[in-house]
Amino acid sequence: MNRLEHVDDYPEIPVSLAPTSALLKTGAWRSVRPVVAKRTAPCTADCPAGIDIPAYFDDVKRGDLESALDRFLRRNPFPRITGRVCPHFCEQGCNLAVAAEEEPVSIRSIERWLGDKTADRPHHVQVDPTGKRIAIVGGGPAGMAAAFYLRRSGHSVTIFERREHAGGVMRYGIPEYRLPQAIVDHEVARLEEMGIEIRTDTSLGTDFSLEDLETEYAAVFVATGAGKQRRSHIKGESLLEPGLPFLEAAKRDKVTAPGERCAVIGAGNTAMDVARTLRRLGADVTVIYRRTQEEMTAVAEEYERARSDGVRFEWLVAPREVKKARDELRLILDHMRLGEPDESGRPRPEPTGVTSELRFDSVFAAVGEIAEVAPFPERMRDDQGWVDIGTGGATRDPKVFAGGDLATGPASVVQAIAAGRAAAHAIDQHLGFTHLWPVEEPVDTVRPAEVNPTYMPQHDRSDDHEVEAITGFGEETTTLSDSEAAAEMARCLSCGYCNSCGTCFVFCPDGAIIWDDGPRIDHEFCKGCGICVVECPGHAMVLVNEREVSNV
Amino acid sequence: MSERLLLTGNHAAAYGAMLSRAEVISAYPITPQTMIVELLSEMTASGRLPAKFITVESEHSAMAACVGAAAAGARTYTATSGQGLALMHEMLHWAVGARLPIVLTNVSRAMAPGWSIWSDQSDILSQRDVGWMMLFAESVQEAQDFILWTYRVAEQVFLPGMVGMDAFILSHTAEPLIVHDQAAVDEYLPKFEPLYDLDPAEPRAYGGLVNRDHYFEMRYKIYENMERAGKLLVEAGEEFEEVLGQRYSPLEGYMLDDADYVIVSAGAMTSNIRQAVRDARDEGTKVGLLRVIAFRPFPIREVRRLLAGRSKVAVLDRNMSAGHSGIFAQEIRAALSGSADAPPIYGYVVGIGGRDVRVETGREVLEDLLQRDEPEPALFVGVKGLPIGPLRKDYRISRLEPLEVLQ
Repeated sequence: MNRLEHVDDYPEIPVSLAPTSALLKTGAWRSVRPVVAKRTAPCTADCPAGIDIPAYFDDVKRGDLESALDRFLRRNPFPRITGRVCPHFCEQGCNLAVAAEEEPVSIRSIERWLGDKTADRPHHVQVDPTGKRIAIVGGGPAGMAAAFYLRRSGHSVTIFERREHAGGVMRYGIPEYRLPQAIVDHEVARLEEMGIEIRTDTSLGTDFSLEDLETEYAAVFVATGAGKQRRSHIKGESLLEPGLPFLEAAKRDKVTAPGERCAVIGAGNTAMDVARTLRRLGADVTVIYRRTQEEMTAVAEEYERARSDGVRFEWLVAPREVKKARDELRLILDHMRLGEPDESGRPRPEPTGVTSELRFDSVFAAVGEIAEVAPFPERMRDDQGWVDIGTGGATRDPKVFAGGDLATGPASVVQAIAAGRAAAHAIDQHLGFTHLWPVEEPVDTVRPAEVNPTYMPQHDRSDDHEVEAITGFGEETTTLSDSEAAAEMARCLSCGYCNSCGTCFVFCPDGAIIWDDGPRIDHEFCKGCGICVVECPGHAMVLVNEREVSNV
Repeated sequence: MSERLLLTGNHAAAYGAMLSRAEVISAYPITPQTMIVELLSEMTASGRLPAKFITVESEHSAMAACVGAAAAGARTYTATSGQGLALMHEMLHWAVGARLPIVLTNVSRAMAPGWSIWSDQSDILSQRDVGWMMLFAESVQEAQDFILWTYRVAEQVFLPGMVGMDAFILSHTAEPLIVHDQAAVDEYLPKFEPLYDLDPAEPRAYGGLVNRDHYFEMRYKIYENMERAGKLLVEAGEEFEEVLGQRYSPLEGYMLDDADYVIVSAGAMTSNIRQAVRDARDEGTKVGLLRVIAFRPFPIREVRRLLAGRSKVAVLDRNMSAGHSGIFAQEIRAALSGSADAPPIYGYVVGIGGRDVRVETGREVLEDLLQRDEPEPALFVGVKGLPIGPLRKDYRISRLEPLEVLQ
């Protein structure tokens, strides 16, 4: 110690010559401590497939595309498909939208970018052959997803498909401009390269029975979808064209519009697909719906695109009767008003007593589809006559599992994929294998009030680019560029997932965060002020009571 | 390779910061300094200058950010003017006490109210006693080069320095500028090594309480280092010539050797005074010019040596300390006080609030100096309705009737 008797005994500036940290172990003052915690992001929580979106964004940010894809494939084998057609449930609860009043992160566009970017990578079987053979009935999204996960788990998998190609609704339902066939072909080919056998042109109930499969296979997964047209109960119903077969025809062959003036009854996704396909064939199209835009079941962006394609919408009109008169069809419409909510929670439409008549060359019905349950024996049905399906697709027959639209009625591709994966999990466990299915502890979802968007880059959301409208059946959007995808991922708060952004390190007033390729709390000096937790953009840190973790 | 460009004083200052490889710049725009900040923000945005540009909401914050950056070991630059410099005042002291060699360009402008953006030395001279080195540039070249020169000395004495530049007359006037070769500048100005590292691994308390038993000693060292800066400015000015081709010194004499009469001036107005001196020489008047470049540290001994024995000395002040006289005149008088052969000092206050100081103004001052018998603390040049002279004796408050509004 200097004696401080001469001017040279003093430093040039007022500074403590000993590091203050050597004297003051301020960590002892702490009553709470910050902990880096993996929590669930709302996007992941809202995704039917449960994709860990912030985590794979971070993989991409670190330059590890392989890891990003691998993480994605654990939840969904087909990013190129859902990246195009998913209703993106993930985006509806994005914390960025709530907390910063900005557009949600364009998660689906990034998913599409990831899928296209890794399109050339083959899928791999991850474990040794188990010797088990599994039959999958139905080569749609649920069946294909189940096949993928079962094959990865080392089983032999055979898909039985009634049409000439696998793909189901993805090949024969969703129009080409939304999902090009070449992409479905490519995904089917990647499944075949994994060693999955696909037997086409073979139907359950005609060419084979469930019993036949149960004899030959260790387990059966049935995912035959919901392709049966629901009845419309309109007088003169037989004059109506069914929607789904028309979409299938449009994808198989060159079709022409059945007349110049077309109507589409219904306002679900099938109705939008039919209406927009008809517009591309040159027809003048009117959508007839008994409720209003608020209640329609089609995803909002399909409605917007239908409008920009020039589709007209007639709200609050319910067809009562269709009549043929000379060369045209006359559609008698009841004018409706909205009443009390029905069992779906939407206001029930009620007739006002006013009617009108519209004339068309043809009228399409797209009022919904239901599952065909005929091939299932009585013993597997519930008292309503539907196939009795429980958790993971279990049926009353222990060897038979079922899922997808067959179980739920028409839903989205991603819901079918999630069902296929859940069934694969259940079948794998049923057969005594557990290794590819780590136990995932439930964790809470990051709430909007917890995130901190203050330091996020504020640039506009990047969506898929739209190609010129209504020029034909070529894909109507293009994939983000690498730089656009990177910019979009940079907008993500990374809720509940530490992506090593460094904000905590920057803001810790005590230098109590050590940077080890990511934050590490220096407990000798952390006073537990909580600033890191508050500043963390995605709230991937939480404060825990010190008494719960140490002896103080 | 050095290059020759036609640039304004403001842009030259930005080039000075760029050549100095300033690592952190924090500044708030204010007329007439804004062009400096604009160009530096472009340079940092484009990557031409790999520096961090910190935008702030005030000049006080700008200097606070500079203090933090310099304490962390970054070469740090800022620029301001007038009210901005005044707002920085508290933090200017901090930079001195913390011994941080920040360099600042001040584009001098008159203080409000009445609001004025025009040239006037009052803003910078109001910071006389904060402990910053202060240099006054006359040309675009100096607006650039003095930044390098100041860093060279500041980083040896760990004191900040400001370069003064006249509003518009220099800041917005384009002249040929030699932008030096970067490698040569790097040779002249090595990397900044701070006194103490700001190291999160070894946190220290900075700028804390020192009490009565420490403070005096620390201040003593500041005075010592300002004294050292005087010698180092001379050395660094000579090194500048060796490495970069221009020689700079705290004072500049012009036609001074045999001059009976000397005009003392600083900043860009000196160029016109130099012309007036040359014209008077042509007419046979033995007059010379002394330009003050370094105002802090003030070159007391050199001023004494150069002015001793002259018949009369006129000091031009584009500023006025109310209740006393022009500040340069005070400084010159104080420097000469008690020395043998001290000449009489005639203070002339000129060009307040940006009023032109022309060659003719120099001639008028010189003529007044030649015919005036007694020195005056402050002689006012060009106040409307009044001849050159001391404050009038017959002052009365002007209460003007409000003008009638035309219908």
